[in-house]
Formats: sequence, structure tokens, C-alpha cells
Amino acid sequence: MKGILDYVPGSSFLHRLNPLVKLLLAFVLCAACFVTGNHFIVLGVIALNLALALSAGILGRALRMLRSLLKLSALLFLVQIFFVREGATLLALPLGICITDLGLSFSLLFVLRLLAAALPLGLMLSVTQTSDIPNVLVRRLGLPYQYAFVLGTAIRFIPLFAQEMAGIMEAQTARGVEFDTGNFFKKVALLLPLCAPLLVSSVRRIEGGAISAELRGFYLRGRKSGYKDYPFALRDLCALLGGACALALAVLF
Amino acid sequence: MIQLKNLGFRYSGAERLALDGIDLTVEDGAFLGLIGSSGAGKSTLCYALSGIVPHHYRGDFYGEARIEGMDSAEHRPEELSRVLGCVFQDIDGQMVASVVEDEILFGLENFGVPRDEIEGRVTQALAAAGISELRGRLISELSGGQRQKVAIAAITALRPKIIVLDEPTGELDPRSSRRVFETLKELNEKHGVTIIVVEQKIMLLCEFAKRLAVMEEGRLILEGEVPAVLQSAGRLEAAGVNIPRVTTLARALREEGLYGGKLPLNLDEGEAMMREVLRPC
Ligand SMILES: Nc1ncnc2c1ncn2[C@@H]1O[C@H](COP(=O)(O)OP(=O)(O)O)[C@@H](O)[C@H]1O
Ligand SMILES: [Mg+2]
Repeated sequence: MKGILDYVPGSSFLHRLNPLVKLLLAFVLCAACFVTGNHFIVLGVIALNLALALSAGILGRALRMLRSLLKLSALLFLVQIFFVREGATLLALPLGICITDLGLSFSLLFVLRLLAAALPLGLMLSVTQTSDIPNVLVRRLGLPYQYAFVLGTAIRFIPLFAQEMAGIMEAQTARGVEFDTGNFFKKVALLLPLCAPLLVSSVRRIEGGAISAELRGFYLRGRKSGYKDYPFALRDLCALLGGACALALAVLF
Repeated sequence: MIQLKNLGFRYSGAERLALDGIDLTVEDGAFLGLIGSSGAGKSTLCYALSGIVPHHYRGDFYGEARIEGMDSAEHRPEELSRVLGCVFQDIDGQMVASVVEDEILFGLENFGVPRDEIEGRVTQALAAAGISELRGRLISELSGGQRQKVAIAAITALRPKIIVLDEPTGELDPRSSRRVFETLKELNEKHGVTIIVVEQKIMLLCEFAKRLAVMEEGRLILEGEVPAVLQSAGRLEAAGVNIPRVTTLARALREEGLYGGKLPLNLDEGEAMMREVLRPC
């Protein structure tokens, strides 16, 4: 089962970028959405993201991310739009609630920002092998390997947890527990007791991993031990320049 | 060479000894099969060989384990692991990376293998395990058998003198199990690697291993050449170890006075035995 943030193998421009540059680029694009107050710049960032996704062959996934964010966005939009009181009234509703032009503009910007800022992070994770992130932080930024390993392990464990949880739920379902209840609280009450077995199996697994890592010389490792080099190439420079341009546009407008 | 002298261990809090006075010498280049019913202490013995017992698991430890002359109580597990590599029973638990290649690289990088040597080692370890095409794949998307092979490759890449495997074919179908043993045989015969393997598939073990060691309730009750150990079939059955059916058949024929030859260990030898038994008719 592939999650929406799992790595999608490929050899596109984005895939081949230095992982550090990908990371940076994602943050620059997020930042661009927040420094600008211009709807069109934010829309532009979304369009840029979709174009990048297309070039990496993951447009379908980007659209799916957008769709899954849309529900949340719609909710936030509605909440926002009723709370802003400043500006000219566009529509007056009973109970003193009104929709103003400023409110509309502000809520729209808010939601667009949310979409535009979530996309680059999602895309970045989709085109980067999880192990590359801690590796490059060690090789290029001098992060101590042990911290990077913990970071990498944490990232690796998220889908494993999900798998394990699904397995436990399946076993419980087979014993007649019904998780498909519409009631949120009831569902939480059903899931809570499952945390104990999940914790036990996770701790066991982490312990096994620690032993195996130790046996394979984990404590002997130094910064220079990494095999993969992550050199910077011309395309990395281009990508950074592109990111800088986007940020500059956002600051100016 | 491995020398165990009166080796004993009790997990803290446990009543029973998990290892009880084990004396065992494993010569260089040996291929030793370790059998015993579950709970007999096979995994614990593997832990003791790799130094996890007594360094990781707390408990009462006595006796002595020497790996290539190093006393396991005095040397850290990572020092021991330069000569002795271990593939444990819980395959998923011992993975440290998400991509196959990184899993193999992990130990090589840690032990500071020179860069120009690393590529060759990775390629060779993957090829030896028969998983060259899995190099770039996500471990979470592999089958149990494929993961098993990744774990083995991660150890063989380090080229230890001794490899210990705890039920390496636990999740494998008969054909893949055989392939794992063929890989082990090649390491043993071509590269002189000492192999110690815990295995439930007794037929397979008897075919590949040169010697057998049998454990029961923490003690080593039998150790020797495969045919010699199988002679004590009664003792094995009492210890909860199943023995090859051809061997059981041969014993039955012997008791009836119908057969006096050597004990067959595999189907071919079983066939030869049956020809001999049936010849007078
Ligand atoms: N981590 C542990 N803590 C306490 N007791 C353990 C632990 N692991 C194994 N044991 C006990 O030690 C004995 C030997 O177990 P083990 O070595 O796993 O046997 P085998 O691998 O032959 O099935 C068993 O009685 C088991 O219950
Ligand atoms: Mg065991």
C-alpha cells in the first residue's frame, strides 16, 4: 500500500536535484506564499508546483493532494469569512452575520496559502528517498550522524506504525469489533486500547533495530563514513536561482 | 574458531537458565546446524556468540565464550561483529534503512570500508544472495523471503569469518529455503566462512550441514557429525526434534532386522537403502 507521501522512483530533473536543494526549494516556495499578500503570486506558486509535479511525472498525485486538502480548506474558508468584520459589506445575513469584501479577500488568501504551502512539502517528499534527507544533512551540513539516524528512523517508522495499526485493527475486526462507526468518540474509545499492543510491538522492533545497528558498527561511525556524496551540480544552482526569483517576486508584490 | 566453556545465562527475572553449561568448539570452516525445540535456547546461544548476551540483555552470565580468541565478556559486540556476523530471527526488527541498497551500505560505511571497495562489495553481496535486481527497492515493499535475503546480504557484505543465522528460512517457501542454503554452502566452501545456522527444516539442514548440535532446555545434549547425531534418533525425539522421515524409516527397518547399512539422510540415500532392502525379494 502506497501512502500519498511515499517516495515515487524516477529520474526527472526534480528527482536528480541534490536533496538539500530540494529541501531548501520546498521551504523557499512555502515562504514565498507567506511573505506575499498577492493572490496571484500564491496562485502562481500553486501553478508552479503543478508544473513541477508534471515534470516529475507525479501530477496525478499532486492533484490528489490538492483534493484532499480542499475539504479542510473549505471548512477554514467558511470559518474565516464569517469572522472578519472590517470592510464593505457584500452580503448581510440574519443574526448580524455579514460577509465583507475584506473578509472574502482575506479568507481566500488564507486558503490559497494553505494549499500553496502544503504542496511543495508533499512534492519534495514524493521525489526524495527518505534516507537521503538525513544522509545529506550529515554529509553537507555536518549534522552528527547519530541525530540523523534517529531522524531517519523516525521517518521510516511512520508507515511501519500505520501498517502495524492496520494489522491490529484487522485482527480486532475479525474478532467482531466494528471500527466503521460514524461516531468519532466511539471510534477513539475503540482505538485507544489498541495503543498498548502497538507500543509493545514497536518497542520490541526498535530494540531489535538498535541491537542490529550496534552489531553493524553504529557507534564506530564518523562524519566521513558516508558512501554517498551528494555533490552539487549545475541543475542545483538553476533550481536555487529559480527559487530565489520566486521569493523575490513574492517580496516585491 | 569459537570456544564455549561451561557457558551459562539466565535472563534477569527468569527462573530457568536459558543456557546451561554449554561446552562447544566450532572449528574454522565448519558448517554447524543447531536444532532443538522452541525455547531450547538456540536464539540465546546466537546472542551469546554475538556478544548481545551479556552486553545487551541483563542477567546472570557465567562461563566463557571466545570468538577468535576474544572473550565476549570483555569485547564490545561491535568488535566481535567484525569477525562474527549475525542474522537474527526477527528480520523486520533488524532493518535500519528503507531502501535495500542503504541497508547493505550501513555496515560497510560504519566499519569504514574504503570507498573504492564499497561498490564491489555491495554488488557482490546482492548477487550472492540472488537479489541484484532489488537494489533500489523499498524494503517495506518486499516479500518476507526477499527481506530475509536482504538481511543475509547486509551481513555477507561485511565479510565476517563466521556467520550465525537464526532460522533464516522461517518465512521462506521450500525453493527459496534451498537457495538460502546454497548461498551459505558457497560462502562456506568457496570463501571458507564458518557457518552456524539454527534451522527447523531438518531435512534441508542434514543435507547441507557437516555437523549438528542439539539443544534441550538450555543444555547442549548432542554434538557431532550429522550421521552420528542422527543415530541417536530416540534421544532427538525426546528432545522434541523431528528427524528426517527416511531416517525414521531406516531405524524401523533396522529394528525389524531388515537393514544394516548406513543411515540415509536424504531421499537419494533413502532410495539406495530401499533398493538394498528390497533386493532379495
Ligand atoms: N528477552 C528475554 N527475557 C527473558 N527470557 C527470555 C528472553 N528471551 C528468551 N527468553 C527465555 O529463554 C529461553 C530460551 O529462549 P530462546 O533462546 O528464544 O529459545 P529458542 O530460540 O530455542 O526458541 C526460553 O525459556 C525463553 O522464554
Ligand atoms: Mg529462537
